[in-house]
Amino acid sequence: MTTIVRLTHAELRKLVAARTFLIGLALSIGVAVLSVVADAAVAGKHGTAALGTTGSTNQMLKLGSVCCVAMLVLGIIGSGSEYRHKTIVPTMLAAPRRGALVTAKAIGIAVAGVMLSALTFGLGLATIVAELSAHHIHHLPADTGTLFAGSVIAATLFGVIGVALGYITRSTIAAVVGAVGWVLFVELAILHTLAPHLAKWLVTGAASALTDPGVLASRALTPATAVAVLSGYAVVLLAVASRLVLRRDVP
Amino acid sequence: MLSVDHLTKRYRTVTAVDGLSFEVEPGRVTGFLGPNGAGKTTTLRMLLGLAAPDSGTATINGIRYRDLPNPVRTVGAALDNDYFHPGRSALEHLRILATVAGISHRRAAEVLGIAGLTKDAHRRVGTFSLGMRQRLTLATALLGDPGVLIFDEPLNGLDPDGIRWMRDLLRQLAGEGRTVLVSSHLLAEAAQTVEDVVVISHGRLAAEGPVADLTAATSTTRIRTPDTELLMSVLARQQITARLVAADTVEVRGADPDQVARIAASASVIVLELTRHTEDLEELFFDLTSDHTNGRVTEVSPS
Repeated sequence: MTTIVRLTHAELRKLVAARTFLIGLALSIGVAVLSVVADAAVAGKHGTAALGTTGSTNQMLKLGSVCCVAMLVLGIIGSGSEYRHKTIVPTMLAAPRRGALVTAKAIGIAVAGVMLSALTFGLGLATIVAELSAHHIHHLPADTGTLFAGSVIAATLFGVIGVALGYITRSTIAAVVGAVGWVLFVELAILHTLAPHLAKWLVTGAASALTDPGVLASRALTPATAVAVLSGYAVVLLAVASRLVLRRDVP
Repeated sequence: MLSVDHLTKRYRTVTAVDGLSFEVEPGRVTGFLGPNGAGKTTTLRMLLGLAAPDSGTATINGIRYRDLPNPVRTVGAALDNDYFHPGRSALEHLRILATVAGISHRRAAEVLGIAGLTKDAHRRVGTFSLGMRQRLTLATALLGDPGVLIFDEPLNGLDPDGIRWMRDLLRQLAGEGRTVLVSSHLLAEAAQTVEDVVVISHGRLAAEGPVADLTAATSTTRIRTPDTELLMSVLARQQITARLVAADTVEVRGADPDQVARIAASASVIVLELTRHTEDLEELFFDLTSDHTNGRVTEVSPS
């Protein structure tokens, strides 16, 4: 077995052993299912679209955003907690080739991202189908499959971005606050309103083109372009993280 | 064998390690001693590839740590006792590292047995006492059954039984032909454990060699005599430095007491009492690391 394969196995063991991933998975599924139930409950009230309309179903299908935020946080915790608990030391003693360590961490979180987003989207979708069926509605938008694939890809890349941010900052709290603040306030609250043409090329903008049915339909970015943009951010940030991990002394 | 050659590490304006060179031989327990801030941990971290030296080299069997093909099987390191995720069990901690190193998971259970933690294998490390974490640190170091072992303050947190157990284990490991380097500030305990020492002060080498030879080299002979002036003059003619420590007592450092007695007899000096004082490791340590001796290096080749 190569070093990368052994390190990746170890990363997957860490994810399961520390329970953080399982708690994150449970929270992600819980939030996704509850948001669908809440959207269904308020559909047609207070000026919202009626249940079964494209607007209402699209609102319920925004499950990918939950997956992205969950994976961003889990990615940061995955790498940042190595410094917080100093487990980076025995890990680097066992595998002193630091580039391989960062790569394995990214692969491990990517595997976790596929699992989490597939389960979250799958169970969220099942809840949507159940809600609609209960109201005798038996159709879904045609591009649900594209949305599922886009959500899995976006969440996985958000996990990799989280890993990079954790290594760059070496602080779980600083990275989580900074990243979530950037996504929610800088991008969604400010740039999406003031400079939408710029915002669509940023991390959240590209993710929205993969996970938000309304944005997907508008073709603000094609899915292929959105994947390329998100992959670009992930690769660049991971390269920066690798360089810093290689150059810095282990604290 | 561990080899440190002109190793230097600076942090901004502070030079933590300054041109340090020493070697550690297999088959012996070598103490790595120095006051707080002397540069011991920084040196060990450079040996283990965790910190990059500004100049010089630190190698294990002639190879830099980062270039070792399978470091866990070559070097076992126990640097601190809080490098554990508190949510993982002791066994899971070891299994994760075994996975990284390509070592059988059965070995993880074995080293827990060696460290006396078998019944706590499934307990979360966050609930461990300081002594238990110290034992888990040792188990981690032994995971790859390495030929070189590096311990930073391994006696910290151990009760008297634990200290005796650790001492016996270190001797056993060295007896098996392994290279064992132990940093410690507990001099009385180190004196009972180590055979060789490397003493550093202000990042520089202060002394290295077998403890017995170093303490012999710094031993003193005291002669009580009414003829102090005559004795000091005949010793001076023999190139032996002596000093008056009391009205009737002369002290000679490093010289053989038999030689001092013969010189005194040949000059018809009346000797009322002749005693030899050999320093213990603690006295030697303070002698070597006190500021007024900084810069002086005592080196004794293994006999």
